[in-house]
Amino acid sequence: MTAIAELTAEPQAGSLVDLLDRLLGTGVVLAGDVTISLAGIDLVTVRLRALIMTVREAEK
Amino acid sequence: MTATATYMYAITRPIAPEAVSDLRGIGGTPVRVIEHGELAALVGTVDLAEFGERPLAQHLADLEWLGRAAREHDEVVRAAARLTTTMPLRLATVCHDDDAVHARLDSVRGAVLTVLPELDGRDEWGVKIFAVADRTTPAETAPAASGAAYLTQRRRQLTSRDEWIDTATRTAFRAFGRLAEFAAASRQQTPQDQRLSGAEHPMVLNAAFLVSRRDEDAFRAAVADLAAEWPPGGVVLTGPWPPYSFVPNDDR
Repeated sequence: MTAIAELTAEPQAGSLVDLLDRLLGTGVVLAGDVTISLAGIDLVTVRLRALIMTVREAEK
Repeated sequence: MTATATYMYAITRPIAPEAVSDLRGIGGTPVRVIEHGELAALVGTVDLAEFGERPLAQHLADLEWLGRAAREHDEVVRAAARLTTTMPLRLATVCHDDDAVHARLDSVRGAVLTVLPELDGRDEWGVKIFAVADRTTPAETAPAASGAAYLTQRRRQLTSRDEWIDTATRTAFRAFGRLAEFAAASRQQTPQDQRLSGAEHPMVLNAAFLVSRRDEDAFRAAVADLAAEWPPGGVVLTGPWPPYSFVPNDDR
């Protein structure tokens, strides 16, 4: 059963996409008095744009 | 005096303020507890020049800022989850001040008290399944002689790729059902875009499972069994995570 150790990725080490998947795609939105519009921003779009730009720059 | 706001990391069952006195969050700022009856919020004070509506919108599009904030937020949520049952909040939940946090806690109290018992003693685990090409997948064929032949050949390649991904998706869906038997709750998220994940193969399942710590060994063994049935690298387990995918949110 060596598989289990190999299977367990360490979330802290490099899987930023997995983390953002959770932190931006889920979670309660408690819009506060200040950043009321946060819920209105399409975070997923923002995220995709940022990540795709980064990936493209890395490929250059 | 600098204008500040209160950043919320998580809502939890009551936590002693001393328990988080060494904890640092966003930008290395101290984390503190706001007590509110049978609930508590883990919060920090942030600068409005960084977390006001407009600067925040810019920062969220800056991957370096976003990545750092996500990890700092996650660190605090994980620390909270080690102390007590924790309902993580989405990144960048910012309230005007502590009074606004109390008001928010009042308004979500009922929902939170319903969710917390579901999260007691359970962790989130992620399972990603990739359509790893096996040796039966048609290899790229020799260049076609004519334009028409090229189109025919290309169409055939695309069809076979679609069929292969369809088959992998159906198989992965059955696998999801098998794993869900070991979980208190399960969710399928949108598979991650290959350009983002940098994965070599297309993702056909991006699932999250809420697993009781008592059932963790059985769940992991089931994932290992599953992985043994797929080509190497086809099944990836991540976790344990705080239960990010199992808290209610109002826009999904």
